[in-house]
Amino acid sequence: MAYSEKVIDHYNNPRNVGSFQKDAEDVGTGIVGAPECGDVMKLQIKVENDTIVDAKFKTFGCGSAIASSSLATEWLKGKSLEEAQKIKNTDIVQELNLPPVKIHCSVLAEDAIKAALGDYQKKATDKKSKPAEAAASS
Amino acid sequence: MPEASEAEIMEHQHQAQATTATSRELPMARSMCWHCQSEVTGEYLCGQCVKVQPLSRDLDYFACFQLPRLLNIDEQYLEKTFYELSRTFHPDFYSTKDESEKAISLGNSAFLNAAYRTLKDPIQRAEYLIRLEAGAVKDIRSNPPADLFEEVLELQETLETFRQLAPKGPSSDLEALRKKLQAEREHLEKRQAEMETSLQHKFNEWDQLQERAALSGQAREEKNTILREMQEILSNRTYVRNMVNDLLETMG
Repeated sequence: MAYSEKVIDHYNNPRNVGSFQKDAEDVGTGIVGAPECGDVMKLQIKVENDTIVDAKFKTFGCGSAIASSSLATEWLKGKSLEEAQKIKNTDIVQELNLPPVKIHCSVLAEDAIKAALGDYQKKATDKKSKPAEAAASS
Repeated sequence: MPEASEAEIMEHQHQAQATTATSRELPMARSMCWHCQSEVTGEYLCGQCVKVQPLSRDLDYFACFQLPRLLNIDEQYLEKTFYELSRTFHPDFYSTKDESEKAISLGNSAFLNAAYRTLKDPIQRAEYLIRLEAGAVKDIRSNPPADLFEEVLELQETLETFRQLAPKGPSSDLEALRKKLQAEREHLEKRQAEMETSLQHKFNEWDQLQERAALSGQAREEKNTILREMQEILSNRTYVRNMVNDLLETMG
């Protein structure tokens, strides 16, 4: 089985490798793993006015997992939170031409996106509710 | 034609061996011989025309070796049975036969090889049993081990620093890093060994439960609990094993 050209390109020149400050208010972090192969993926988004202005990842795993997360960060940039929610693993499979045995890598990337969005949203709601609580208790 | 007669002799020997092995019964794909339409009684070769029969698609790896679904298995028995069945199905014995027989022997052999490889390795055996018992692995997917993920990420950062420093030649920083990674490796290897020990305990628990359940009927809840616990150890072990492998690869 050979990797597609797109996978090899993302593997050799991964886009957006790196990290943001995990506890920053405008950052959402998703860390997920695939128990079948032991791959671990960290994906982070930076959000301004409900739009993803930047995305970074670090993936320790096979070429397909790296390519899937690299592609995901490319797609995330410039998307609204709502649009980002709609990215499906099947879109990644199609774009990268992943063979059936590597579909779980794209699932991992979708899980990472969902986890990062969830983390950001949790931070945002916590932020909203905290000042209210503080006001109520005083 | 000396070649033909040689092939014939081999065929006769093969059939003689096969008939001594047909005391076993396995579920076959069809109840009738695909060739002569006579009834197939669960033997690999048709009793009437001696044509090889396709194995049932519902056959699982344990049933293929007539083993109960236990996790401690008699490896000698497994090997012996594998060789026995291989002699019956190996495509080499069917090179002079017609296309249908060749295809059946190839299919049966491929299944047999996969079954043997899977059952021989205790980890693969457990993973396979979980898949069989749970229908789909997803149903008993364990909680993601967040602390392990953090550990993986942290270790990878340290390894990256090490990889950057190493080509620059010896330095006190590099030495300190090497010591740190060596300690980490020992710690992880110990943890992997511990996981394998607890996995062995789960194997024993499962086998005891299976034997008890065979007498007292079902014990679905208890079984699922053990399966879930095994799944969790197995997936955590995969992350730890990957970390150990990365350490070994980087540090030599």
